[in-house]
Amino acid sequence: MYSLKLSNIGKYYSAALLFRDISFELRSGEALAIAGWNGSGKSTLLRIIAGLVRPSTGQVDMFSENEPIPKESRRRFLGMVAPAMALYEELTALENMEFFCKVRGLVHHRRTCLDMMDRVGLSEHSDKICRNYSSGMKQRLKLVQALLHTPPLLLLDEPGCNLDSKGIKIVEDITRQQRQTGMTIIASNEKREVDYADRVINLSERSHGNLAP
Amino acid sequence: MFALTTLVAVSFSIGSFRIGEAEKPFLYAVLLWIILVFSALSGLSRSFVKEEEAGTMDVLRLSARPQAVFLGKLFFNLTLLGALEVIIVPSFILLMEYNIAFPGFFVAMVITAGLGLGAGTTIVAAMIAQASVRGALFSALSFPLLLPLMITAIKGCERAAVGFDTAGWPEVRIALAYVVIMIIMSLFLFPLIWEE
Repeated sequence: MYSLKLSNIGKYYSAALLFRDISFELRSGEALAIAGWNGSGKSTLLRIIAGLVRPSTGQVDMFSENEPIPKESRRRFLGMVAPAMALYEELTALENMEFFCKVRGLVHHRRTCLDMMDRVGLSEHSDKICRNYSSGMKQRLKLVQALLHTPPLLLLDEPGCNLDSKGIKIVEDITRQQRQTGMTIIASNEKREVDYADRVINLSERSHGNLAP
Repeated sequence: MFALTTLVAVSFSIGSFRIGEAEKPFLYAVLLWIILVFSALSGLSRSFVKEEEAGTMDVLRLSARPQAVFLGKLFFNLTLLGALEVIIVPSFILLMEYNIAFPGFFVAMVITAGLGLGAGTTIVAAMIAQASVRGALFSALSFPLLLPLMITAIKGCERAAVGFDTAGWPEVRIALAYVVIMIIMSLFLFPLIWEE
């Protein structure tokens, strides 16, 4: 059983406040959506949870069986997909997955990687250089990369971006399966994606300087 | 390419004839390390900048231990620098007719100072990867960090060429100490740099 706790998270850039007082708890089996106008800080909040950005105030804690997980080990317990994240374009899809298995210290099985790629409809393209992938195929491959180590916490930033209807169905299946055992946080303004979650935090109500009309 | 161009330019413009025999050991050591350091500065900053530009920095941050990333980049830079030294140093010796009295000491000096150069530039490359004016910052930050090593390397190569009092290989030991200190410090500092 895993849980995530955010306490009074706030983010300032210089003197400008992006958002403040974000607090919530999430447990295995739950899904949370983060919605908000462009510039309200959805991606930044996900990056704070992932440990990629330091919050200006507050703290993020993750627990395994009520035991706190040290910040430096947190990356082992989460997978993330975001538009700004890229994979190695000069490698094939399979080489990318093999590389990430190795750096994560996973026992690498080519068959497992291929099975996961099959799950997102990429097994036939596994030997293609990623540079030649379409943006939708890259998005699917990012999903595989995030799921390689079966993380208890899955962070999805605009997961449906660049995906066709089949791809969107894959995201739906992944979030449904993740909810059986782990936690999911989705940052999106797409109603369909927000509906995957059982709770919604709207950053537009807590942020400043965003592009709200 | 930069290293080869500089080497050819130096050998043609200065050659071995325009410098007096007494000055050769010192001036050749200076010229050799100018070529090596500037070649390193022009190329080694790319190791982390490339990740930042390609957008792979975040996925690497989420996947790998910071120390593993640092050691990987260090190994890459050292390989690159090693290849550069293998091409440049023998070419320099041949083109400039560089006489070295103690080749063993000279080779050890080039290797240890090369390791130091690689270690120093790798940690600076990590620091500047997210900055907007990377090129200027890389040179500005590298200069004070590499200066002691360069002075030691020049002195060591001069001593190897002249052949006086190489007992104890003092410059090699200083450069080796620099390498050890730089790598240990970097392994502690890098996780802090690696986070935003």
